[in-house]
Amino acid sequence: MTKTFAIGDTFTLVRTCDRYRPIYYAAASGDFNPIHIDPEAGQSAGLGGNILQGLCTLSWAVDAWIAYLGDPSKVSKVRVRFSRPVAVDDVVTFTGKVVSLENGIIAAEISATNQRGDDVLKGARVEGRL
Amino acid sequence: MALDKKHIGKKYGPFTYEAGREKMREFAYAVGGSVPSMSFSGVGPPDGLHPWLHDLEAAKASPFGTIIGLPTFAVVFALAPFGQAVMDPELGIDLSKLVHGEQEFEFYAPVKPGDVMTTTGVITDIFTKAGKDFLEVKSESKNQRHELVVTGTWTAVIRLK
Repeated sequence: MTKTFAIGDTFTLVRTCDRYRPIYYAAASGDFNPIHIDPEAGQSAGLGGNILQGLCTLSWAVDAWIAYLGDPSKVSKVRVRFSRPVAVDDVVTFTGKVVSLENGIIAAEISATNQRGDDVLKGARVEGRL
Repeated sequence: MALDKKHIGKKYGPFTYEAGREKMREFAYAVGGSVPSMSFSGVGPPDGLHPWLHDLEAAKASPFGTIIGLPTFAVVFALAPFGQAVMDPELGIDLSKLVHGEQEFEFYAPVKPGDVMTTTGVITDIFTKAGKDFLEVKSESKNQRHELVVTGTWTAVIRLK
């Protein structure tokens, strides 16, 4: 069965930054900046505790896109601005909407908000090859 | 002190990195909500993780014949020029005032286990806006077959006070 794609399609993904997620992501990515893995370092940097690596949030947005496309190798582009840190226990909801589909390239805009409704990403846009 | 524009054009690299299968799977596990361990945790893959990213049998039957990396696995090797730039003593950036402001990637080919990536980067822009310095680094990563795999645009924002 071939999946069909259309402008206006929407997709959603919810991810939680559990207590150990920044540490697991540090282990996988190599980003061991103390503000991500040490609550005290995050406190003294004025962040209220340790925060998730922005690139993990970006990866979550790409995961949402992969789930929609159904094929990780079709992802061709992602662009985000990191507008607010993701803290431990935050729940991030990614909501995407397909905005263009031409010449074999599909594009979507994604919003990413925490449980308080604040944007953690701005201007997030993804593209894929069909 | 604002960052000096004279650093625009400064190059970093080449950096080489060999992609390992278990590291690629661990990255997909960590992003997907599981524990990045193939054996120790016993937790297994996260719900909903695409089988081509971790399931060796399913990947064998895929168009690639092997598992592939999450597209964003690229951060593991493609970050090197940006990482070097923000820590470059000649730039003198106070890391405690730095945040990762923006990020863009273009993906051209999937990463497969054993691929050897070569990444180079260059400072493409430095400017000051609203009391903050902006540092933009572009990276380009190719595999051992000289195929372009991923390009990145990495923007750091540094508070001046």
